[in-house]
Amino acid sequence: MRQAGAYSGILCGGISGRTGPHLLPLARIKKIMKKSGDDVKMISGEAPIVFSKACELFIEELTQRSWLVTMQGKRRTLNKEDVTSAVLATDIFDFLVNLVSET
Amino acid sequence: MEPMDIVGKSKEDASLPKATMTKIIKEMLPPDVRVARDAQDLLIECCVEFINLISSESNEVCNRVEKRTIAPEHVLKALEVLGFGEYIEEVYAAYEQHKIETMQDSLKGGKWSNGAEMTEEEAVAEQQRMFAEARARMNGGAVAPKQPDAEPSLES
Repeated sequence: MRQAGAYSGILCGGISGRTGPHLLPLARIKKIMKKSGDDVKMISGEAPIVFSKACELFIEELTQRSWLVTMQGKRRTLNKEDVTSAVLATDIFDFLVNLVSET
Repeated sequence: MEPMDIVGKSKEDASLPKATMTKIIKEMLPPDVRVARDAQDLLIECCVEFINLISSESNEVCNRVEKRTIAPEHVLKALEVLGFGEYIEEVYAAYEQHKIETMQDSLKGGKWSNGAEMTEEEAVAEQQRMFAEARARMNGGAVAPKQPDAEPSLES
């Protein structure tokens, strides 16, 4: 399972062991996939399943990183600026920079 | 070319269900932590954007290997290319798990009238076998087994 790294001590029993039913609706994911470009190819029935899990992991990572910022500010409410900070501090989230800056 | 810039293509149409997303978010946090509503909304938007990003790249990968349908392998490759290689193992495990569960369902419904337990044990053994196979495949770097051509700008 994924190692949570530096902040693993804070969250106990978070993500491990929960690979069961996929939570996100596959039809919705497929819809978003089709809208992502003009010439999107046909999508196999299994691709949304892979996406579902990847999205889960993505949200978990973004949430964790945002929460880290919240804690550094000694707050208990995760707010939008925390998400923005997390995005700006993480290379692989570069594709989100415009999205978090436009609000 | 950014598909998002095309006028008339509203990206608000398809989003992810808020309740499900909230659940995933809350599960990551201690129980007494609150999440501001605009933060939740932003997280959801980020996730949609993530799907867009991976979809585009998966589409590219699919093109490069000259297939017509985006398959899980293309998505896994896209994740790797875009820096989300960390996710691959868990994503692949979930995918394999799903295949097993699907197989179990069709087995239970069919000929295995008395073999429910046997089916499960066999399924677990099968799962182990598939994982081993998967690892061998992944370690062999066989996501795109045939190098199709001499395109110089394949990937960085």
